[in-house]
Amino acid sequence: MKDNQFSQEFLNAFVDDQLTAEEKSRAYPQISQDESLNRAVCELRKTRDLVQLAYRDVPTPPSRGLPQPRTGLLGLSLAAGIALGIGISLGWFLHEPKMPTVTTVAHQPLRPAGVSVVAAPAGALPSAPREVATPVTAGATQAVAPMSQTAKVLMHLSQGETSRLDQALTEIEQLVQYYRTSGQTARVEVVINSEGLNLVRSDVSPFPERVQRLQREYDNLAFVACQNTIDRLKREKGITAQLLPGVSVIDSGVVQLMRRQHQGWSYIQV
Amino acid sequence: MRKTISITLMSLIAALALGCKQEPAPKPAAHPAKTESGAKSEPGTYEKQKVVYHINYNDEKELKGAMRNVQNHINAVGKENLDLKVVMHGNGVDLLKQANDNPDMQSTVINLKKQGIGFQVCANTLKGKKINYKNDLFDVSESDIVPSGVAEIAALQQKGYSYVKP
Repeated sequence: MKDNQFSQEFLNAFVDDQLTAEEKSRAYPQISQDESLNRAVCELRKTRDLVQLAYRDVPTPPSRGLPQPRTGLLGLSLAAGIALGIGISLGWFLHEPKMPTVTTVAHQPLRPAGVSVVAAPAGALPSAPREVATPVTAGATQAVAPMSQTAKVLMHLSQGETSRLDQALTEIEQLVQYYRTSGQTARVEVVINSEGLNLVRSDVSPFPERVQRLQREYDNLAFVACQNTIDRLKREKGITAQLLPGVSVIDSGVVQLMRRQHQGWSYIQV
Repeated sequence: MRKTISITLMSLIAALALGCKQEPAPKPAAHPAKTESGAKSEPGTYEKQKVVYHINYNDEKELKGAMRNVQNHINAVGKENLDLKVVMHGNGVDLLKQANDNPDMQSTVINLKKQGIGFQVCANTLKGKKINYKNDLFDVSESDIVPSGVAEIAALQQKGYSYVKP
């Protein structure tokens, strides 16, 4: 400690804020003026912070009262070990954000039907999945499993001609049938927006019974309608869309498609 | 003290590096990595791709356009880098019907197959439309038939294929 007038112990106490006010006010100007002192304090602070970081969540070890040399060694190895652990998890988490969010979003309506919404501009889409993908219940942990056995399929319907709807329903039915007969567990979600809404509007749907029957027969099949489309219909044509029973509503069909794909669902346009 | 600092720091750094190196679980298939691959590859070149093209319509013009898309895709990525399957169901199966009757379409299909493109046909459709694939469709063998076109497309995406509907 060369010409320092403060002992190592004193400096440690200074860093740990264990000095009296008087001692502190005496030490402070000198430390701030003396470069080497300043550096020493800086080093000590760094150590303290690192050790505190390492010990943050660790219960006090029982070996507190052991003789000096042993605690030093133990502290050293413990600090190193814990820093290792923190480092690994830090590295892990720093790496994490590139992973798509894998949480399950229940397809309940995200907002009350009465609230009017402006159709989401395309630019708003990318940020959306993170906002809505709040972790919910048990389904979330299941979704994390790397490649689950359950097939998860999005059927996107955005066109409304009767022949299209007819074909879409046929394809949907064939798919759920196929999964059932082949013994493959599956979830199929029909995401409906734009003109496709005709399929599930009770006033205009050409095939209300088929939709109802499919829903009855296959509990792994969900029809999800886009709130933006419903709002737009109201706004532009003054039509209040009444949906067939059992059809859920999602904030935005397009965003839902993105969310689901981020969660590992397959996408098929019907 | 100094020793403690350096050891702690060193292990921190080592651990950080260790943690970073660990590749997390494989990415869900339907979500091709967009961020990194672009930066790594030179402009104009692509890394290996797996793609499924979905065809369920039979308008001749649209089908020709779709086949052109496939050819352009090969040209851009390179056939050695591309694993591309065309899955047909419903009306889309008519593509190979037309290839039977229409020499243009036929040579297009032959050409694409030479470049490694797979053409897969939905068994549901064959059954539903009572199509005899040996007589009615161009160059289809049993290995080209999948039980369900839609389920096949879903399964391919789970295996890392990207979905394109031309």
